[in-house]
Formats: sequence, structure tokens, C-alpha cells
Amino acid sequence: MNSTGRLGAVVRKEFLHIARDPRTLVLVLAIPIVQLVLFGFAVSFDVSSVRTLVIDQDGTPASRDYLAAYEGSGFFTVVGTGDELSDVDDAFHAGTADAAVIVPAGFARTLARGQKAAVSILVDGSDTNSARVAEAMATALNSLADQRIAVSWADANGIDTQAGQLTAQSRTWYNPDRISSLFLIPGLMVVIVMIVTVQQTAVTLVRERDLGTAEQLRISPLRQTELMVGKLIPWTVLGLADATLIAVLGMIGFGLPLRGDPWTLGAGAALFVCCALGLGLLISALAPSAETANILGIMVAFLPGFLLSGFAFPLEIVPPALQWLSCLFPARYMVTISRGVFLKGAGFETLWPQLVQLGAYAVVVLALATLLYARRQR
Amino acid sequence: MIASGPAAPATSVSVRGLTKSFGHVTAVRGIDLEVRAGEIFGFLGPNGSGKTTTIRMLTGALRPTSGSVEVLGTDVVRHPDRIRCRIGYMSQRFSLFEDLTVDENLRFYGGVYGLDAATFAERREYILRMAGLTDRVGELARNLSVGWRQRLALGTASIHRPELLFLDEPTSGVDPVARRRFWDLLTDLSEGGVTLFVTTHYMEEAINCTRLAFMNRGRVIADGSPREIRDSLAEPGGPAPSLEEAFVALTTRTGRR
Amino acid sequence: MNPRRIRFLIRKEFLQLRRDPTLIRIALMMPIVQLILMGYVVAADVTSLPTAVVDLDRTTVSRRLAADLGSSGYFDITRRPGAESDLRALFDGNVVKVAVVIPEGTTAALTRGEQPSIGVIVDGTDNVSASVGPGYALQAIARFNSDRAAAMGLDLSAAPGLDARIRVQFNPTLSTVNTMIPALIAALMLISMGVIMSQAVVKERESGTLEQLFVTPIRPAEYVVGKVTPYVVLASAQAAVVALLGMVWFRVPFNGSVLVVAAGLALFMLVSVGTGLLVSLVSRTRAQAQQTVLFVMLPSMILSGFIFPVASMPVPFQVVSRFIPLTHILVVLRGAFVKDSGFGDLAMSFAWLAGFAVLIFGAAVAATHRRIAE
Repeated sequence: MNSTGRLGAVVRKEFLHIARDPRTLVLVLAIPIVQLVLFGFAVSFDVSSVRTLVIDQDGTPASRDYLAAYEGSGFFTVVGTGDELSDVDDAFHAGTADAAVIVPAGFARTLARGQKAAVSILVDGSDTNSARVAEAMATALNSLADQRIAVSWADANGIDTQAGQLTAQSRTWYNPDRISSLFLIPGLMVVIVMIVTVQQTAVTLVRERDLGTAEQLRISPLRQTELMVGKLIPWTVLGLADATLIAVLGMIGFGLPLRGDPWTLGAGAALFVCCALGLGLLISALAPSAETANILGIMVAFLPGFLLSGFAFPLEIVPPALQWLSCLFPARYMVTISRGVFLKGAGFETLWPQLVQLGAYAVVVLALATLLYARRQR
Repeated sequence: MIASGPAAPATSVSVRGLTKSFGHVTAVRGIDLEVRAGEIFGFLGPNGSGKTTTIRMLTGALRPTSGSVEVLGTDVVRHPDRIRCRIGYMSQRFSLFEDLTVDENLRFYGGVYGLDAATFAERREYILRMAGLTDRVGELARNLSVGWRQRLALGTASIHRPELLFLDEPTSGVDPVARRRFWDLLTDLSEGGVTLFVTTHYMEEAINCTRLAFMNRGRVIADGSPREIRDSLAEPGGPAPSLEEAFVALTTRTGRR
Repeated sequence: MNPRRIRFLIRKEFLQLRRDPTLIRIALMMPIVQLILMGYVVAADVTSLPTAVVDLDRTTVSRRLAADLGSSGYFDITRRPGAESDLRALFDGNVVKVAVVIPEGTTAALTRGEQPSIGVIVDGTDNVSASVGPGYALQAIARFNSDRAAAMGLDLSAAPGLDARIRVQFNPTLSTVNTMIPALIAALMLISMGVIMSQAVVKERESGTLEQLFVTPIRPAEYVVGKVTPYVVLASAQAAVVALLGMVWFRVPFNGSVLVVAAGLALFMLVSVGTGLLVSLVSRTRAQAQQTVLFVMLPSMILSGFIFPVASMPVPFQVVSRFIPLTHILVVLRGAFVKDSGFGDLAMSFAWLAGFAVLIFGAAVAATHRRIAE
């Protein structure tokens, strides 16, 4: 009796199941593309402009000159002018402006007297992301303006201002233009493989048990391992196809570079898929019904995949307890490998710790799943 | 039709002291059974009497707590794998893949039993004709009526020409006409040399069996041909009771679960 | 409508809810898991980025600079490699996210009155470090410069200049969690009604009890009210729990009016109920319902500004986000929680929400009615 023939029969049957269920097929093929579009085009934390309201109560050439610096910064977009402070309140409450600059009357006079002229910059903190950047940009803009005024005064009065000043040159490695899609897509691949494989393998094995066909097959010459492997192969194929699809679309459509060693990526992906399948098996061994398997699958694949993998939200800054929790899910290791290979050009020599972690994870989780399955049989 | 492989021994199933406990619940309490080759063996009993548990042990799907099971001359407890290609099993749930077509279901089981292309083609033809499904090969199993699904299930269970076929309540939920037709198929199989091990609720079906065993509360409480069982329960001098009456009397006597 | 029949329906629904351990578990677990993950992971603000410092200058001044960076709180100096070439491996292996290189001769150049520059390198594969790292480094360097100028006795205090007072209004600590938790209230409501209620309705159809109900004197409208009420109660309880935990545990301030929040949530509840009913109408099995929900929910979560700011999206996506109800309830809740915005300020968002409520809830009720009447 040949075992490959039996395996082939199971694999063919599984593919037929998938083909007969258009919603699953859509889920598996369309969701990756929808996500790629959303994460590739729509999602970004970059703040390119801050809507700014200016209130010039001074109305002098000096105040206009000062306010022109905001327009010229290319970052603050003046969306309106106001007369008094209450206009700021209204704009903030209605959400029509993110920041406001107020130059009080007497600005030019104070400067001419050689004193510090006060200006107020108000930032709406309800959008923390843009507020943080607006705050930093306003600080920089004002310190520059302040320096300009002081230096022109010092020059006019013959004071030497040549004290050494430290400056900084910042460089962004790997992704110099800080394009969000480049940093999101390698992680997105991992998240999608995780969702497809964990969730679907968990459900497909339990469904067979629910139908009673599992019992039927136990009496046939089909071995338990053949059934499992046969059921897992289609999802492995689909999972890897999803990953490849995203990688190719990412490279063609978004200019994602593949800088590192593809073999390291391949090895990581293979180990990662083993881990994900192991988790799916574990769930199906534990779940009493397909429904519970489904929910457990979401719990284990969806939320940790998105939130505890470092895919969009860096793990370095979350509380330690959650960092430990993230180590229980294989996605975080694979996100590091995927990003390392695609963007950093890393290879085996830098990423071997992650590969070893994935390997160990796969062994442990597959052994645990096999153990639980064996116990269930009795 | 004699199956290929070693010549079938005179005894198909031989069970001694078979017991199965789940935790502290004992489902089967030391039963003995003997099924001879070529028989249609009827295995009767109320719901929960231990019939399905017994069948699962006979097919090697479940390990007994104690006792010995010999099927087709093989010790099933020790070598459950050795008999798998020689037995077939059809459950009361029919166990078809509902989202696969008739043909795809057959093809899958053909693959599972490792039939080569020529054998499969021949068996497929035979089963389709036997079950009257020739015009429905492309239909999804889910869309078939119950009678057709039942015959398809019988086809998939016997696609590899088993020497011994276990049928666990194969006719539950099927209308009388389809049931009659199904039993005609079973009789054909039996005449072809297949030993049948059938559990059922329907007494008019039990009549068709060559031998019967009654099970209640985990024990076999009577066995013999239908005639022998009815006679054994007859009042001295009175008429033999019907099988239905015998069944009720035996069950009541040993208590209901 | 017969109030007695509705009462019986509601009682039956509550009993079923109580007997379904899986649903109860999701209903209880979801707010807690989401609170933890959203509160601690998504709303995490940068505190200590793992940083490498390459000090090639090796003077007391360069050591002071390094210490200044470390004490800013944003950088956690974990590595001090001897050469710049060592950085590559540290970045590749994800050991550090930021590196600061102080070149040889920096102190000497400073003493000569020149303007030497140090290198700040950030990891572009991590958006957070890359976007805030340089800014925080500049802040630390500015402090270093002014301290040094003060120490050298250079006096420009007589010069004119600017006294810029930059103030963050409404959320002065700029904690993301303050805007995340109000948003979570609405997101959970949508999930609860979308997932839990649609599952319950589809389950009833699967088991055939729905058909059974329609041969009784129960009217379609009564059925909808009876079916929906328990889940409205459940979702309200979840919203209250999230709001309470957010305020007690995460110390989210509430500055607004309860009335605005209640009005917004009431409208959004209608939208959520409508979504749940529509999902259950197009799904035959619970698995299908779940997949449909997933398909509807994912774009909502991503494009509504729940996690990713709408202002940072390209214009076409900003337009799409207008047509997502969640977008508008988020504006209302964040406005009310953080800024004390009133009905007048939020009129636009309320108008959108009311429109969605009429449209979605109306469509759902009409469709259910038709399905039942047939």
C-alpha cells in the first residue's frame, strides 16, 4: 500500500473543500490584497502638514515676517486667520485646526526695545501623533527665529557670537525616505500567513471530527499522520502563496527592495509555517467544537499577529509583561527575519538567533500538539 | 465473490471477554461473540447499550480495556493496521463529504484504499450501477436525498471489496422503500461472499439476518438465529413471540439504562 | 407590538446567552484583552529606545553629551561599541534602534568656536524610532548647547529675541491612551453587535427555531426588538466597563459632557445593531457570519482613525473614511472626552452619524421584516 497515494487523495480532497467554499477562498485570497492596499497606501504615522490658525494682533511688518516663517516651513499649513483667543477654542473644538500661533499686540515694539517678545503657540493634544510633531517643529522654528534675531542684534552691536555650537546630522538607515509601506509590507506578510494557517488548520481538523468522517477514516488504512499532513499541505501552500503574492506585489507596486539573502528568508518562512501549523494543531486538539476552534484561532492568530508581532507597533516600548507574552507567538521572530532580509540586507550570520528560536518553537509546539492528539485518541 | 488475500477462515469475528471502561463508566462488560464467514450478523440493542463502542473496538478504532478481539484471523488489539484493507465500515451518519460530488467522494476513498486506476474504474462503475447513481456523478453529496446518500455511503465503505463489512445503524432515518432497497443490496453483497455485521433498531430488518445477538447494558443477553431467539422466549405450549416482542421482553427483563 | 410577548422573547434570549459559554467568554474577554493590547501596545508612547553610542572623542565633554542623551528618558544606552563599523551588526540584529556617533575632535572643534556635528542614525525599518528619534536627539543637544553656553558665561540675555510659549491644549501629557480608550468604547460596541449578535441570530436560523417562532403569534417587529434588546444591554455594559477601567486604571481624564457621549453612542448603537442584522441576513452559517464580519470590520478599523491617523492618509482614503460610521463616532467621543466639545462643535459628525443610523438601521429592519414576512 503506497502512502503517497493516500496522501495525494487527502490533499486533493482538501483542495476541493476549499474550492467549494467561495467565502473561504475570498478570505484567503482577497483579504491579503485588501490589507496590502490599506497598509501600503493608506496607513502612515507620518505627519506631513499641520493645519494652523494664525492670529496676528500686532499687524506690523515684523509680525508678518515672523508668521511668514510658518508658511515657509512647508510643515505648517495656514488654514485661516483669527482675531482673538476664542477663535482658537472654536477651531479646536470643531476640529478645523491642529495648531494656532498668536502674536500679541506690541510684538514689534518689544523687539525694537531689545526685549523678549512673547508669542503663543497652541497645539491641540487630542491627536497625539500630530501634536507631538507639531510641538517639536514649533520649538525648532522658534529657536531658529530667536537665534536669527539675537545674532543680527549681536552683529549690529559688535558682539562676538562665535561660541561653538553642537549640531546633529541625522541619517535614516535602510529606509531613508521613511516610507511606511516599506516598513509595513514585510511584517504584513508574516501576519497574513499567521492568520491563514493557524485559523484555517485549526478549523479544518475540528470540522472533520464534527462530521464523523474522521471516525470513518480511522478505520481505513489512512494513518493519522497522513491525514494531518494531507490536511495541512493545502493551507501551507495557500499560506506561502499569500506570502509570495504580497512580497511580489510589494516589490512591484511599492518598490520594496529585497536586499538580503533569499535563502535565509525561505528558511525562516518554512520554519515559521511549521510553527503556525503547530499552533493550529494545538488548537484543534484542545477545542471541543469547530466554533471554539474558530474563536481560539482568532485569539491566537489575529490579535497577537497584529499587535504583538512588532509588525506596526514596536515591541521595545511596551511593558515587559507584554514583551514576554509576545515571545509566546512565533510572529515576532519572523517579522524580525522578514524585515532584516528585505530592508536591512541581513543574512544567516545576523539572523541565526531568530532562526534558532523559530526552529525550537516549531519542535516544541509540534511535539506538544502530537502529544495532545495521541492523548485524545484514547 | 471471494476477496483476494488469504483464504477466509471459517470464523470472521471472534471476541472473548471484551470490556471497555471510560473512566468509571463501563460501556461493555466482558462480552463473547462469534461471527462466522458469510453470515449476516444482526447486532441489536436499545440506544446506549454499547453497540457502537463494540463496533469501534472490532474495527480497531478503539482499544479495549481488556479481552481479546480476533477479526479475519488477526489480533486487532495488537495489530489494528493489518485488517484495515480487508474490512469496511459505514456509520449511521453516513460520513460523506457533503461539499464533494458523488464522483469525488468515491475517488477520495479509492485513493485512501490505494486502488489502482483500472480497479477503481471497475469498482466505480459497479457502485454507481448498484446504487443507481450513474446519472448523478456530478452532484454534491449534500444535495442527494437520504436514500441516495445511504447507498453512496455503502459504496464508499465497500469500494475496496472488504471481506467483512461493519454497518452501524445504516438505515436510521430512511424511508421504508429505500430501506427495502438497501437490504436488497446487502443481500447481494452477502451472496457475493461478504460477511456483514449490522446493528439496527428495526425488527423487520433483523428477520433478514442469519444470526442475531441482543445487547443490553453492556452485556450480550441472547444470541442465535431469529427462530431460536423467538422459540427460547415462547411460553411452554404457547406461540413463539414476534421478534419485536422478544426484544421488548429481553430488554425489560435486564432493565433499562 | 405586545409588550408581554417581547418580554418573553427577551427572557429567552438572556437564558440562551447564559447557556452559551463560548459567547459569554468572548463577551467578557474581548473588552479586557482589547483594553490591555490597545492601552499598552498601540498607545505605547516612546520612552526608552535601545541606543548605541560610539564615542570616538573620549573626552569629559563627549561623555557629558552621552549622559545628557541617556538622562533625557527617550534613549536607553545599551551598547557602547568602539567603532562605527560595529553598528551595522547591532542594527541588523535588532539590538539597537538608534545610534549616536560622536566623532573624534568634537570637543576640540567646540573649543575653537566651530560648529561640529554628531551623527544620529535611526532604524528606518521601525517607523516609531525613525520618526521621533532625531527630534528627541535634537532636543537633548539643544539642552547640552545652552548648558554649555551658560557655563562659559556667554551672555546674550541682553539681546532681543522670542519668548515662545508652546502649550499643548486638552492633553498636555500627550498620552496616546487618553484618545485610544474613548475610541475603544465605540470599536467594541461595533464588534459586540457585529460579532455576538449576528452569531446569535444565525445560530437560531441554523437550528431551525427561527421558523418555529414565525408560526407563533409573534410579529416581526416584536422579534427584532426582543432579539436586539439583550445585546444592546450587553454592549452598553461593555462600554461602561471600558470607560470605567480606562478612567480608573489608565487614568484617562473625562472633560466633556455625558449627554454628548450618550447621544453619540445611542446613534452609533443603531448603526451597530443595523450592521449586525445585515451581516446575519447575508450569512447562512455562523462561520460565514464571522468571515463577513471580518471583511467589514477590518477596513473600518484601519481607515476610521481608530489606530492610524486619518490626517496622514492620502486624500482618496480620507474621502473613504468619511463614509465609515466609526470615523464620526470617534470624532465625537474623542472630542467629548479630551476637549469638552459640545453639540455645536460636533454638529457635522452628529449629522453624519444620524444619517448612517437612519440608513443602516432602516435598511436592516426593512430587510429583516421582509425576510420574516415571506
